[in-house]
Parts: sequence; structure tokens; C-alpha cells
Amino acid sequence: MAFYLEKEKTTSTPYLLLDEEKGYMKLEGRSFHEGVTEFFKEIFDWLDVYLTTDFGEFTFDFEMNYFNSSTSKLLHNMLMKMDRYVTDKNKIVVNWITTEDNDIIIECGEDFQEEIEDLTFNMVIR
Amino acid sequence: MKINMLEYNKMLINNNISIIYSGPLWAEGIDGMAEFIQRRLDKDELTLSASQSVFSVFVEQLNNMLMYSVNKEQPENTDKPHTEASKGIFLMGKHDHSYFLQTGNYMKTSSVELLKSRIDHLNTLDKQQLRQFFKEQRKIEDNNPESKGGGIGLIEVARRATSKIDYDFIPCEDGITYFTMYVTI
Repeated sequence: MAFYLEKEKTTSTPYLLLDEEKGYMKLEGRSFHEGVTEFFKEIFDWLDVYLTTDFGEFTFDFEMNYFNSSTSKLLHNMLMKMDRYVTDKNKIVVNWITTEDNDIIIECGEDFQEEIEDLTFNMVIR
Repeated sequence: MKINMLEYNKMLINNNISIIYSGPLWAEGIDGMAEFIQRRLDKDELTLSASQSVFSVFVEQLNNMLMYSVNKEQPENTDKPHTEASKGIFLMGKHDHSYFLQTGNYMKTSSVELLKSRIDHLNTLDKQQLRQFFKEQRKIEDNNPESKGGGIGLIEVARRATSKIDYDFIPCEDGITYFTMYVTI
């Protein structure tokens, strides 16, 4: 059975949608909960297995408007991991979606973009 | 002891303090304060980056306290900073169109030197260097699963602040030091 996980957002944790069948993940909202590592653990546990399969194409829509430094470290870890698993057959697309007035998120996106080698990183400014 | 609330209120107003919290620190408690601060910032109709900067400094300062504060009354808990031993004081105010955020907490004297040298180093860097330093440290910490990310939290404070990070370390007894951090945005 394909993995499916959906979590509603709280004050300090984002909305999460993980749909294996569609090869799709979405994070939306804010992330600054002290236990952010536990929040991301479920995603990592699934990703670690998923990325080793022939998944074909995977899309990650990132639509957070604020995240703290601990979250930034986990996002870095996640993006670098995804980047390592891109092959001729397995494509990964990250859509970094934000608004033009969100300077901090745009800057963070640019910094991630610089470190990424193989995955497709789209800066989407709405 | 009954406090003279009128005098206390005057003291807050004279010092332009709009929010003050003193007590235990825990994740959900910080959530509550975060909502309160966000509402306050929304009311001030700032640009998104200004409001995000103030909010970000608040979050990192509080996370920092949560991680490093020790409760002086329970020194036996000093090795378990995530227990109820985390306690501190936080205040925010606004003066001449800029915000100031100050924290105070007890910490282990043995950690003072490292924290002081970190802040002193950050205070020598400009915004572009801080951005670069944040990237480098994030990469290092990412390769070190033991790290709780306290190092980059302070860099984030320095990046968002418009002032240098002002601090004081006041030695107390029994290997405990009182730490206070002050920044403006």
C-alpha cells in the first residue's frame, strides 16, 4: 500500500501532505516547534526508503512562510538527501513557492539553490 | 508581598516595554507567546521582512533559553535543560520605530566561555558574512546529529538584528551565571 500522511498545521508546525502514489509532498505554514526533529522524523523515515526505489518523478511543493534555524538544518538535510538520489530515471522537482515581499524565504531558497546540484529547484514567486 | 502595580506599570511604560514574560519555558508556552507577538506585530503594520525579523529573533532567543537555561533553585537538574528546569525572562518593547528584545536566564558557568566567544565572533561580521557563516555552520551541524542547532540560532539572531548582540554575564554562586542578551531590530 502506498504511504499517505496528512497533518494539519498548528501554531508552530506546518501543514504536511505526503502522497506516495502521486509522488508528491507539500509543506505549508510555519515551523519553529522545539520538537521539530520529531516532526520531520516521519518524513525522513519514509524518504529514506522511497528514494531508493524506482519512483520516477517526485515533486515537493515548499510553501512555508517562516521557519526557524533548527528547521533550516532539517530542510538542508532533506534537500541534500533528495539531491543525492536524482538519477536519469528518477527525477525530483522542488518548487520553492513564496511571495515577492518574503525576502527571508527568498534568500533561504537562493542559499539552498546554490548548494543543490542535480534536483530541479524552481523559485516560484507569486 | 503585594506589589505596587501602578509603579510597576509606570516602570514598564517609562521603559517602552510592551510585553514581558517571566517563568517556566516549554514549547507550547512559546507557541502561545508567539501568537501574541504576531498579533502585536500585525497591529503595527510593518513590512513583512521587518515583522519576520522581529518574530525570528523572538523564536531563536526563546529556543536558546530553552536549551541553555538552568533553574538556579534546582541545580541538580542542570544537566537536563529540557526538563522543567528551563526558566527565563523575556521582554519586548518599541522605541523610536525600532523594537528591542531582551532575555535573561541562569546558565552553567562552564558554558559561558563558548557562548561569549560565539557572540563576540558574530558581532565582528557584516550581514553578508553572517549569511555565509550561517550556510557553513548549517552544513557542519547537519553532519553532526548530536547538535541541537543552538549555534545557528545565534547566527540567525545576528542576521535579523539591526544592532550588535549586546550581552552581560553576571557570575552567581555554585557554577551558575546569569546571562542577558539584548538586541534591537
